Amino acid sequence: MKNRTARRISAFLSNFIIIVLGVGMLYPVVWLIVASFKESNTIFSDPGLIPKSFTLQNYIQGWKGIGIIGFGTFFKNSFIICTLCVIANVIFCSLTAYAFARLRFAGKNFWFAVMMVTLMLPSHVTTIPRYIIFRSFGWIDTFLPLVVPKFFATDAFFIFLLVQFMRSLPKELDESAMIDGCGKFGIYTRIVMPLTTPALITTVLFTFLWTWDDFFNQLLYLNSPSKYTVPMGLRLFVDSSGMSSWGPMFAMSVLSLVPCFILFFSLQKYFVQGIITTGIKG
Amino acid sequence: MNRKARKKAIRENLSSYAFLVPWLLGFFIFTLYPMIYSLYLSFTDFNMLQPPKWIGLRNYFVMFVGNDQFPRDERFLNSLFVTFRFVFISVPLKLVFALAVAMLMNQRLRLIPFYRTLYYIPTLLGGSVAIAVLWRRLFAGDGVLNAILSGVFNVNNPPAWISNPKYALYTLILLSVWQFGSPMIIFLAGLKQIPQEYYEAASVDGAGKTRQFFAITLPSLSPIIFFNLIMQMISAFQSFTQAYIVSGGQGGPLDSTMFYSLYLYLKGFAFSEMGYASAMAWVLLVIIAALTALAFKGSGSLVSYGSGE
Amino acid sequence: MKRIGLVLFTLLMSATIVFAQSGSVTLRWAYWGSESRIKRSQQAIDLFMAANPGIAVNPEISGGTGDHFNKVDTQIAGGSGPDIVQMGGNISDYVKRGVLLPLDKYVGSVLNTSVIDPSAIESGTIDGHLYGVSTGVTMPALVYNKSLLQRVGAPLPKVSMTYPEFRAYLVSIKSRLPAGVYPMQDIGALSSNSTPFGYWTRYNGTPLYNAETNMTAVTSAAAQKYLELFKDYRDNGLVPPADIASGFAETNADTSMIIAGKAAIGFIWTNQLNGYQAATTDELGLIEFPGAAATKALWQAPSQFYTVNKYSKNPELAVKFINFLVNSPEAAKVLGNDRGASASSTARAAGSTNVNDQKVLEYLNSAGPHSSKETTHLPNDTEFNSTLFLIYQRVAFGQISPATGGQQIYDLITRLIKK
Repeated sequence: MKNRTARRISAFLSNFIIIVLGVGMLYPVVWLIVASFKESNTIFSDPGLIPKSFTLQNYIQGWKGIGIIGFGTFFKNSFIICTLCVIANVIFCSLTAYAFARLRFAGKNFWFAVMMVTLMLPSHVTTIPRYIIFRSFGWIDTFLPLVVPKFFATDAFFIFLLVQFMRSLPKELDESAMIDGCGKFGIYTRIVMPLTTPALITTVLFTFLWTWDDFFNQLLYLNSPSKYTVPMGLRLFVDSSGMSSWGPMFAMSVLSLVPCFILFFSLQKYFVQGIITTGIKG
Repeated sequence: MNRKARKKAIRENLSSYAFLVPWLLGFFIFTLYPMIYSLYLSFTDFNMLQPPKWIGLRNYFVMFVGNDQFPRDERFLNSLFVTFRFVFISVPLKLVFALAVAMLMNQRLRLIPFYRTLYYIPTLLGGSVAIAVLWRRLFAGDGVLNAILSGVFNVNNPPAWISNPKYALYTLILLSVWQFGSPMIIFLAGLKQIPQEYYEAASVDGAGKTRQFFAITLPSLSPIIFFNLIMQMISAFQSFTQAYIVSGGQGGPLDSTMFYSLYLYLKGFAFSEMGYASAMAWVLLVIIAALTALAFKGSGSLVSYGSGE
Repeated sequence: MKRIGLVLFTLLMSATIVFAQSGSVTLRWAYWGSESRIKRSQQAIDLFMAANPGIAVNPEISGGTGDHFNKVDTQIAGGSGPDIVQMGGNISDYVKRGVLLPLDKYVGSVLNTSVIDPSAIESGTIDGHLYGVSTGVTMPALVYNKSLLQRVGAPLPKVSMTYPEFRAYLVSIKSRLPAGVYPMQDIGALSSNSTPFGYWTRYNGTPLYNAETNMTAVTSAAAQKYLELFKDYRDNGLVPPADIASGFAETNADTSMIIAGKAAIGFIWTNQLNGYQAATTDELGLIEFPGAAATKALWQAPSQFYTVNKYSKNPELAVKFINFLVNSPEAAKVLGNDRGASASSTARAAGSTNVNDQKVLEYLNSAGPHSSKETTHLPNDTEFNSTLFLIYQRVAFGQISPATGGQQIYDLITRLIKK
């Protein structure tokens, strides 16, 4: 009885702390949503949270996009690119990570170091040579430069992430599976993949979010407005040398966050403690 | 016998390399050439529109030494210092904060899904204009912080934090710490992978929450902490977006938020000195690689990979 | 298995990519702009394509100059630049690097320049060759918040003032403005600060750059005077202190001190008026920079140029399209004044009814006589802006004296000319 009261108090305190801290987290998104319902000419001249006017026009206007292409097209393009990148990263980064984390082969440390180094060069300076490569493949103005490299595990961040998770799995698992007649591929699909679900979920989430936001590469490789993506579409509402449609820009910014929220909300349940066990008593 | 063993070793190697094939192909097709090309560019004068001109070590010379004809680039050294300060303050703070929140978010509360989403919002917004607007509203001369300082604490004439060269960098550090969502998620994933039996056994032995944290959570999480440390360091050295949106791409006031990557970007694209920018990139690579190697060396005794290796 | 999957995937991807070229020749037109410009441009493209079967025009649109030039530079460096490139004041940097096509041999045959303002043609002529066709003209101006001044009962500024009159005016409105609102923004602390500085050097009789002699007339003493002018304003509270001023980078309406209602007077280009007015409910007006009437120190500048990539495979068609954009009445009707007030007489005849366009036209009429030929941009214009901005801040924050700042500006200019 006493114990239960104590637990309730502790739960209440936890909730209380989380909510107080959370208010600060919420502010920008509330501001964004409020701004998306304001008239364009009051967004920056009256940046408070309580709007003097309220309009749905921004959403209607924004969804029409840039006049010649609707915003729906940008969403569709972003979805295609993101989905393909997610699939590629989950399969090919985990495959590579598995080799680095759990297999023995000559030159492993060397290749691992090489992989780490690829993370360290600022991407701005490889822009031109990468462009030249993709141009020689005839891939300019297609989704291919944005997607195909992921099928070759070029996202070293996720390889390293998965390596760290795979390395902490007990080695005994492989050995017992080996005895049961599993090959390397079998261990990968039947043991390592299921046990690293949280890390794979993280990969899915981050790949999606980061690809969704990746403006610079999309700007360079996509030329035809019909192939533009969400972040490119958002930039087309604003031009400092001419007219800017701030209201529609904010409205579409809010819409562009919706898929991210949905994905995050539906995936976060995979991070609940205490479902996994080692499978062996130790 | 010996030959047989060697044959077996080769086969073992080959079957392992099979898993590495996609990555190796990707590396040789998409990554290696751009890297080598940028290294070559670092020894040239290249404005993007005309063919690169070989100038040997001059770009590097201008960065660190300089003479009368090619004066040393003070903005470069400044950006290096600014970035170092940013990295060494923001990364530890962000990691501690992310871990603390991850622990908080790892409880069994009914509203946890909602809370987690809430705490991920700042990260989700990334480099949106909303963030820039918010930060200006908080830290401008007539911002929320100063309203509190002068209203509640009677401070006279508090500074305009975000546009004062003494403090502007710290508002960006705060912004970076506030966007702690990514390491938090990775910590959560790591916490989930700690076998529950460890805690059960510890409870039986009578270990309290604090003991459990230091005896089980920290050691089991150490590979993940290490990962977050390395990746946060790498990305902090390359951080660009926040400074770009908050300072309008200028690194102001007085270059106090001129991050290395921002200066590199300005040099390469705005000032048309892609050769110099490439040299800067390779200097940064060497710095990051050295620090990473150091971290890997030092991690030997601190990071434990379970019963694995 | 994996490889087959990949091959399949690649095939699938290529199959889904639509090559939507109807004609036999496709021109690629790279420009920056937002919604209204995109719509207008597309209408012009449609008109052109209807009149010229067999030619398709694909627009490649970026949201701002930064994105536009990042993309175009990369494309040109990678060997696949667009045919028609929209350029700004940095046109001479591109000419110097040899990526633009001289248009002289098309003049008269494909490109009709006889109906275009001679000054507009001159502004696109560099080293004796025509490289860019002006899309329209724009002028630097001071913008003031009319509604704000009326609310506080302050007098409205005269369109033409001398520097002493201007200073007296700022002093007169200072006392009426509420705390935290300044008579003027610190226009030297803007990211586009080379324009106010450029104006001042012309006013002072020491123009920034002479392309023929490849020299500057600016001296360190002249630059010092500029820094002292604003130091005086700053010390007297006519412009905000340095830390407030640098909070408004003014690259856009979202960081504008005028839009935020924190300053009564600021600086814009006339083609920005539409955009600024759309971001505030207050009414804005335009006045001249001080002292322009006596010195003719203002100038009309082409807001943008249409240029042709030297490596274009269809240069003649590209020029034909440009000629259509600038000269044909039907294109002028759909394009409006979006890229500046048109320089072509046949186009201008089409007219505009927009209130802001009228205001701009009024300003152009009054300020036109107070202007003279534009000074050629300093080489490496972007770097000049960025570094001038830094030096100006050093003085504003009191790190260095105006004398030292003047010397640094002079050193900067001479270095950029040599670069």
